[in-house]
Amino acid sequence: MIYREAGQFKTSYAADQAIFPIRLDRIGIAVCLAIAYLAVPAVANDYWLLSILVPFLVFSLAAIGLNILTGYAGQLSLGTGGFMACGAFAAYKLATSFPDLHIIIVFLLSGGVAAAVGVLFGLPSLRIKGFYLAVATLAAQFFLIWMFNKFGWFNNYSPSGVISAPPMHLYGDVYLTGPQSAPVNKYLFLLTFVALMALLAKNLTRCKIGRSWMAIRDMDIAAEIIGIKPLVAKLSAFAVSSFFIGVAGAMWAFVYTGSVEALAFDINRSFQVLFMIIIGGLGSILGSFLGAGFIVLLPIFLNNVPGLIGWHIPVDMIAHLEFMIFGALIIFFLIVEPHGLARLWTLAKEKLRLWPFPY
Amino acid sequence: MAEADSMNAAAPAALSDAQAGQTVLRLNDIELGFGGVKAINKVSFEVRKGEILAIIGPNGAGKSSMLNVINGFYKPQKGSIEFRGETRRAMDPNHAAKHGIARTFQNIALFKGMSTLDNLMTGRLLKMKRNIFWQALYWGPAQKEELEHREAVEKIIDFLEIQAIRRTPVGKLPYGLQKRVELGRALAMEPDILLLDEPMAGMNVEEKEDMCRFVLEVNQEFGTTIVLIEHDMGVVMDISDRVVVLDYGVKIADGTPDQVRANQRVIDAYLGVSH
Repeated sequence: MIYREAGQFKTSYAADQAIFPIRLDRIGIAVCLAIAYLAVPAVANDYWLLSILVPFLVFSLAAIGLNILTGYAGQLSLGTGGFMACGAFAAYKLATSFPDLHIIIVFLLSGGVAAAVGVLFGLPSLRIKGFYLAVATLAAQFFLIWMFNKFGWFNNYSPSGVISAPPMHLYGDVYLTGPQSAPVNKYLFLLTFVALMALLAKNLTRCKIGRSWMAIRDMDIAAEIIGIKPLVAKLSAFAVSSFFIGVAGAMWAFVYTGSVEALAFDINRSFQVLFMIIIGGLGSILGSFLGAGFIVLLPIFLNNVPGLIGWHIPVDMIAHLEFMIFGALIIFFLIVEPHGLARLWTLAKEKLRLWPFPY
Repeated sequence: MAEADSMNAAAPAALSDAQAGQTVLRLNDIELGFGGVKAINKVSFEVRKGEILAIIGPNGAGKSSMLNVINGFYKPQKGSIEFRGETRRAMDPNHAAKHGIARTFQNIALFKGMSTLDNLMTGRLLKMKRNIFWQALYWGPAQKEELEHREAVEKIIDFLEIQAIRRTPVGKLPYGLQKRVELGRALAMEPDILLLDEPMAGMNVEEKEDMCRFVLEVNQEFGTTIVLIEHDMGVVMDISDRVVVLDYGVKIADGTPDQVRANQRVIDAYLGVSH
C-alpha cells in the first residue's frame, strides 16, 4: 500500500491523460530530476560525468529513436549506427562550413539530415517486413559507413578520416566542445536536451501519430481500413526515429568523444542500441533509459565488483564475461519478458498497489 | 436512455422517415475471381439508408469477399459500385474510411498491444487534424483536440458498457469483449455505413443478446446503415430489415426475412436437394 492510486480522483480528461497521472510517479520523477540536476553535479567526478553519464544520455536518445521505429512502429532496423554517423558527419560539415551556427541549431539540423536519409532508406519498408526489412536497413548501415570513409568531402579531407569537433559554446564562455569545455557543462546540457527530446517523444507516442504507428505495428490491414495510410505512418516513423538517432550521433561525436571516425558507428553500435531497447523494453520511452543505463553500467559493474569483493579476474576474462552475460541476458529477456525492464517496472508497480495483500 | 441522448451530439441525428429508404450504396454486376475460382459472380444489390441488411449464405458463398469489395479491400474484375452518387469501378480503403464506411472483421483485427481506449482512439484518427509539431508539444490546440476526441470515445465506452476495461490491453480480453471493442472502434469513426462480419460468431447466448441490442441501438439511435454477415438464422431473421442470400458466389434471393425464409432456392442451398 505504499504505491497508491486509490483516492486520486480525476475530474477532467486532461488530468487523466497526463503522462504521470499518479501522484507518487510525479513525486518520483521530480526527485529523479532534482538528483540529476543538483546532487549529481555536486558529487560526481569527471570520470563519472564523462565516461558514464554523458554516454548514458547519448545512448538514451539513440535508444528512444530506435524504440520509436522498432518498438512503436514495429519496423525492425539494424541501421542505427549508420543514421548516427549521418548525424555526426552532418554536424561536422555544418559546424565547419558555417562556424557561426549555434550548437543547438547544428544538432537539430544534423538530425534533420539524418531524418531525410532515414526516409530514403525507409522506402523499402513499404514493400517488405520483418527480417527482410532488417536486411534492407543493414544495407543502409554498411553503405553509409562505406560512404563516409570513401569520400574525403565528408571529413574535410582529413588523412586519418577522423572528424574533430571545433570548439563550440552554448553561450558566453560555457564551451561544450573543445579543450575549454567542462564535463559538468556537457552533462547539464545533455541532460536538459535529452529530457526535452524524451518529452517530445512521449507526446508523439501518446498522440495521433503514435497511435497510427502502433496500429501499423499490431495489424496493418485493420490500420488501413480505419484510414491510416501505411506510407505516411511508416515513413514518418523512419523520419522521427532517424531524427532522434541523428541528434544522438551528433552529440556522440561533438559532446561525448570530441573526435570520431566513421567506424565508431559500425554494425556493433547498431546492435548495442538494439540490445538496449530489447532489454529496456520495446515500445517504452522509460525502457529506452533503463536499457541504456543497463548496458552502459554493466561493464563498469563487472569491472569493479569482483575486485571489491576480493575476486581477481584477469582483464581479458572480464571482457569475455561481458559478452557472455549480455548474450545470456538478451536470450533471457526475449524468452521471459519481451517487454523488458520497463514491463518489470510496471509489474512491480501493480504488485505495490495491492501490497501487502496478495490480491 | 440518458447515455443514448448524450451520444447524439457525437453521431448523426436519427433519420427522418422521408430520408430512410434511399439507396446509399448500389453494387452492379460485381465479379471477383481469385485465379480460377469465381468468388463472386454477377452479384447486384443495393443498400438503403437506415436499414439493417443481412448477407447470409453457406460457407464459401462469397459473403466476406462482398464486404471486402464494399470497403475497397478487394478490387472486383467487373462491375461497378455506386456510392454517394458516384459510380466507381472499385472502392479504395482510405476513400471508404473517409466517406463513412467502417467495418469489423470475422477474425478480430484489433491492435492487440494497445489499450481499449487507444484502440477506440485510432477510430478517430481521420478526424484529428493537428500536425506532428503540435502533437510533439501536446499543448494548446493539440491537447484540446485530443481531449475532445477522448470525450467522444468515452461516450462510446459508456454505450458499449466497457468502462471497466478502458486501460486493459485488448490482447488480454476475452473473445466476446474483443468483439465489442472492435465494434467500438468502428463506431468511433462515426460511420454512415457499418459493415459487420459475423459480429456474433463464437458467442454465448447472453453475449449475442448484448451484441444484438448494441446493433439495434446503433441503427435506431444514430440512423447508421448496417450491413452484417451472420450465421445465426434466429438473429438474422429477428433484427434485419432485408436479407441477401449468396450461394457459390451467386445471389439466389433478396428480400424481407419472411420472403427469404419461404424461398425454395434458399431452402435448397441450406438443406441440400435430392437429385
